[in-house]
Amino acid sequence: MKNRALILYTLFIIFLCVFPFMADSKWSAVGTTFLIYAVVALSQDIVLGRAGMFDMGHAIFFGVGAYSTAILNTAYGIPIFWTIPVAIILPIIVGLAIATPIVHLRGDYLLVTMIGFNIVFEQVLANNVFGLTGGPNGIFGISFPSLFGWRFDSQNEIYLLAFVLFLLTLLVIRNLETSRAGRALHYIKADSLAAECVGINDRFYRLYAFGIGAGIAGVAGSLFAVQYSAVSPEAFNFLQSVLFFSIVIVGGPSSIPGILLGTFVMFVLPEIFRELATARYFVFGIAMILAMVLRPRGIWPYNFGKMPKFVKEEH
Amino acid sequence: MDVFFQQLVNGLTIGSMYALIALGYTMVYGVLKLINFAHGDLVALAAYVGLTIYTQMVGASAPSIWFVLFMFIASALIIAIVGVLLERAAYRPLRKAPRLSAVVSALGASMMIQNGIMLIWGAQIKIFPADIIPNKTFNVSGVVVTSMQLIILCLSLVLMAGLYFYIHKTKTGTAIRASAIDQDAARLMGINVNRVIVTIFVLGSSLGAVGGLFIGMFYRGIYFNMGWIYGLNAFVAAIIGGIGNIPGAMVGGMLLGLFNAMIAGYVSSAWSDAFTYLLLIAILVFRPTGILGERVAEKV
Repeated sequence: MKNRALILYTLFIIFLCVFPFMADSKWSAVGTTFLIYAVVALSQDIVLGRAGMFDMGHAIFFGVGAYSTAILNTAYGIPIFWTIPVAIILPIIVGLAIATPIVHLRGDYLLVTMIGFNIVFEQVLANNVFGLTGGPNGIFGISFPSLFGWRFDSQNEIYLLAFVLFLLTLLVIRNLETSRAGRALHYIKADSLAAECVGINDRFYRLYAFGIGAGIAGVAGSLFAVQYSAVSPEAFNFLQSVLFFSIVIVGGPSSIPGILLGTFVMFVLPEIFRELATARYFVFGIAMILAMVLRPRGIWPYNFGKMPKFVKEEH
Repeated sequence: MDVFFQQLVNGLTIGSMYALIALGYTMVYGVLKLINFAHGDLVALAAYVGLTIYTQMVGASAPSIWFVLFMFIASALIIAIVGVLLERAAYRPLRKAPRLSAVVSALGASMMIQNGIMLIWGAQIKIFPADIIPNKTFNVSGVVVTSMQLIILCLSLVLMAGLYFYIHKTKTGTAIRASAIDQDAARLMGINVNRVIVTIFVLGSSLGAVGGLFIGMFYRGIYFNMGWIYGLNAFVAAIIGGIGNIPGAMVGGMLLGLFNAMIAGYVSSAWSDAFTYLLLIAILVFRPTGILGERVAEKV
């Protein structure tokens, strides 16, 4: 079982390595966006799948990261790589600021509050509050990143950056999974009262999950801004949060292969069926219902080792 | 002061539409503990179905008030059927599944209805005819009230009063309230919970349909993805009143309508959504059970 997973991961990563050499620039762009979305979905999963908080506003953190890079780069001329620390720290600050008053809310209330924050965020961007966000059209002309005199100016080079970020994210998540914090999140999700009784600081770890999730989404946002060399409010609106949310639930919460598969199903498949243009989202909606009815725990659910069946049913 | 009274009238009109839609959310949430994201799109579908029925009939003969009545009844029926089918296909199989699966299923249903509307009626804005009911304006010392606003207000109040009595005075109403408190206990008392849920979807969808027709008649322009905006606002109204609480949805709808109108009148309409959600966040942080919600001891 362990070996099979390892082989599958290796094959998948080899495929991602050779993918840009086989694809034309359009599909390479789709591949880059897939990687970025996969990173955001994995970060969303830390909050939603692992800590069990119904965060339907993850596009905020993605957007804060993207806008940090875009504003620092276009208005102040700071090179892309130097904006990345800001694109990590600022979303973390925003994430903690948003989460602190609301982490104690139960499931659906948290979900609705996050939707609310996301809509406020979108209006802040669209109304050009500090004269920085460029209003409804967003910001254009973000420059290419360069490192030690090397300019990442082709689609394949940006793909490479996204690929590196993707691997780093997998590493972070793997470490989280096997660490004290990861186990704490798991306990909190399963039963927060019991978790607190065995000495887990419930509030601290909930904020911790939001912080990590927001930070990772922020870097992904920074790369997203580079990929399209532009940012605009509708790339970070509430529907985008719905997408990330659905990716995690359709794929399988806490399951890395599930989330990758979810990203593929929810983002790449609609791209493939672009010819069907108008009908595709109609079919997509039906597919979402069917996926949930047929696989209520996700397409590739997470397996909690050899637990008896009645324990699993609880989730 | 004129601005105040004018916005009061406008706010109550908008608020009664929100209230009608919010009832659908709150009843479903009360029993199933599910945010029915597709409800807003059912509301939008109602506006489209109603407009089609009305134009078909007006094309055949001279307009009359009976056509409007027929439009209301027929679209409420059709939307009720769609709502029940939706429950059957998308929510019932997931009743024992993890809660978020049902939420995603609802999101899928919403996407399906929204894009279904776009496929059938197209992506352009459709316009309701202006003369759907005789257009009179009453000028009460500077405050303008249209006949449309009066009809919307009165009809909504009648429907809400009807629902209130239905929920509180009839046997089925008692069954609905019992199922909202504890489904298993209700089942043990011999209540057919499945039938209660179907009833809820019939009531919620048809009230939502009336709300959708009001939106169409009042704002006149309808578009395929309007369900999101009105749906979310109505959902906020349901939370403000205390989700799961039927009188709460009515009060919450009215309050949200007034709040929106006052913000539009005194601050700026570009920010009205942001203010709506800031109000929502404030309410959830300081009083998560809503204005009329009861504090129920629950596992934290």
